[in-house]
Amino acid sequence: MPKPHQVQVVKDKETQLREQRDAESKRKAYREVKEETRKKHKSVTFEASPTPEEPVSDKISLPRKRYYRQRAHSNPFSDHRLEYPRSPDDMNWEKLFPKFYDEESNSMTSSVEIADIGCGYGGLLTKLAPEFPEKLILGMEIRVQVTQYVEDRIIALRNKHENDEVNFQNISVLRGNAMKFLPNFFRKGQLSKMFFCFPDPHFKQRKHKARIITNTLLSEYAYVLREGGVVYTITDVEDLHKWMVKHLEEHPLFERLDEEWEKQDKCANIMYNSTEEGQKVTRNKGSKWIACYRRLPTPEDCV
Amino acid sequence: MKHPFQIVLTNKASTILFASVKNHLQVFRIADGEVIGSWIDTVDIFTPLKKQQEDKIKALKAASENKDSASDSNDGSAEKKLKNNDSKPIKIPKIPVPGPGAPPIYNYIRSLALSKDEKHLVGTTDSDKAAIIFEIDLENSENCLKLIKRQVFPKRPCAVSIDESKLIVADKFGDVYTIDIDSEEPVEEKTLSPILGHVSMLSDVLVASYNDKKFILTGDRDEHIRVSNYPKAYVIKNWLFGHHEFVSDLHIPEFDPSLLISGGGDDYLCLWKWYEDKLLGKIELRELIEPFLTEAHFPPERFLTPESPKEISVSKILTYASKSKKKYILVLVENTKSLLTFELNDDYTVTHKQSFSTEYPLIDITLNENDGTIVASLDHETTDNLLAFYIFNENDELAILEDKIDLVKTITTANQCDVERRDEFYPLYYINTLRKRSEH
Repeated sequence: MPKPHQVQVVKDKETQLREQRDAESKRKAYREVKEETRKKHKSVTFEASPTPEEPVSDKISLPRKRYYRQRAHSNPFSDHRLEYPRSPDDMNWEKLFPKFYDEESNSMTSSVEIADIGCGYGGLLTKLAPEFPEKLILGMEIRVQVTQYVEDRIIALRNKHENDEVNFQNISVLRGNAMKFLPNFFRKGQLSKMFFCFPDPHFKQRKHKARIITNTLLSEYAYVLREGGVVYTITDVEDLHKWMVKHLEEHPLFERLDEEWEKQDKCANIMYNSTEEGQKVTRNKGSKWIACYRRLPTPEDCV
Repeated sequence: MKHPFQIVLTNKASTILFASVKNHLQVFRIADGEVIGSWIDTVDIFTPLKKQQEDKIKALKAASENKDSASDSNDGSAEKKLKNNDSKPIKIPKIPVPGPGAPPIYNYIRSLALSKDEKHLVGTTDSDKAAIIFEIDLENSENCLKLIKRQVFPKRPCAVSIDESKLIVADKFGDVYTIDIDSEEPVEEKTLSPILGHVSMLSDVLVASYNDKKFILTGDRDEHIRVSNYPKAYVIKNWLFGHHEFVSDLHIPEFDPSLLISGGGDDYLCLWKWYEDKLLGKIELRELIEPFLTEAHFPPERFLTPESPKEISVSKILTYASKSKKKYILVLVENTKSLLTFELNDDYTVTHKQSFSTEYPLIDITLNENDGTIVASLDHETTDNLLAFYIFNENDELAILEDKIDLVKTITTANQCDVERRDEFYPLYYINTLRKRSEH
């Protein structure tokens, strides 16, 4: 956005500080308004709540990203105050996917099968939604404000497309630390696809354990993935790409899918073109590296 | 005053007691209290730092030599090479000194375990993050302990376990490694590769069998217990969900290897059929332990609110099958003057049997499963009374074993760690520090 006044004014420190404060309070106020809407429409808690959801009809605008900016890094090891279910049995999916909840049988008509780990601003989710109308797709994001943006985005999309064929009822998002609590959300073999798009590269050597793809974490992904399920990775950092390939290659439960497969797979194409990060890289004429791996059958001597 | 024993461990025949204080390890003959083995860890916290510095210097030297030879081959000018050498002397990297407020590193032995055949004793050190493996030779009248291997790990080991000839080490970073129990040279730390990992500090590790197939069980600070295949630990079998707070101790009874009892920061223990992924029940501790909790069990001041309850941290779970064929669970809650016992019934229900009061808070206990004797190390400011001996008596009740005064005195006197005041004690209770207190 161009500034209204191009005249260079030297501002004293106090003015600068005041302006910063004003801008911050504006962002805060914006987010508070959105929070109200969000609470009304969808609140993610893991305790059963008896209050039925109110029907909503008022028009909801799409959220604006600039009010939700947050630094790109988050420490996956710290004890963030996270909400997570005690176990997959305790997860209330009907809060996230109310249209897939059957009141008569008191159960979900479908379960989450596709997960976007570190979903960022949710670009991939919204593109995957029309491709898999019967499948539930969940984005997980560790940054609070970014998660709120995606929530607000989905609420607005659902509201806008209420009567359309593609109504975005099959996508949702939650704040969580997938590196620590993935098994709290998903059962063994529940997922068929997991996406890792433009993950935090954690360049420093001593931060490598904080990377989302490691030998040891791949075992957890193999646990939640069914046999034949696919791990999708994409990054614009060549070094990270090599790292992910190396670890996936070394892991006995994964096998690389070749370029031919990548070309014909619609998810790989969507991933290449549709995430916010991916579009940014394209704009900056950067390179993108893709690697997809299939979950192999569990060895016979294991359970 | 003597520094209390931090870990006590007896062999199956109850003839030998292994005990650690700070960086000292001593072996006592239980018959008469005679010291039959000892070892002092002379590697202090600066040893690894010094080694790190040497490595850095070596790397820098190599790099500068490389550079020289590179520039050498480029233009071949001897003059330039000399100049290069003069202008860039190697900077000697400093040994890092922990800043103010940094958590202290203690030079102590954090864990001890005996191999099944009792030929090896293993432990871990905090100072250089190593696993230590001793050969036990009772024929050697000078010293029955012989250090045969010291394997340094990238992160601080928190728990050890033994599976036949393998030592299993779980670390603070959440990774589990295995190394051979032998006297071969330790491997280069960087070439070690974990067999499994959590993204959370590990607090305990066990190898368990079901129908002759092995599994590895790991407990962490994020209330997770994970069951993985073993040795193919990359194939996870399942998680056991039941804890709300950290897990600190996992115990599989010898009389029923299909059971698992787990405890940690919760007000209860969990009783599992671990292979079937089935929670049989919870054993409530709060009401029973409440009378033994003190001011020390409140959370640290900055987290203390008027509503804060006193916190329970399980430090040890043991089981005992008595001569009358009854099965018992024995629980030590950190920093209490008590031992709780429960009878485990055949239908896996549990009945409280006894709340046994002790004279001093207990730091660690070891139980002989054959005769029901317990050796406990006491938190006591004394020069001659650092241990207590208890026994499951003919009514399967805990009682003090009399006539051990001389033995206790002999062993305590042999403890070489003298201190002036209580503040010189190493931390005796640290399990409650595993509790998560996130503020954001």
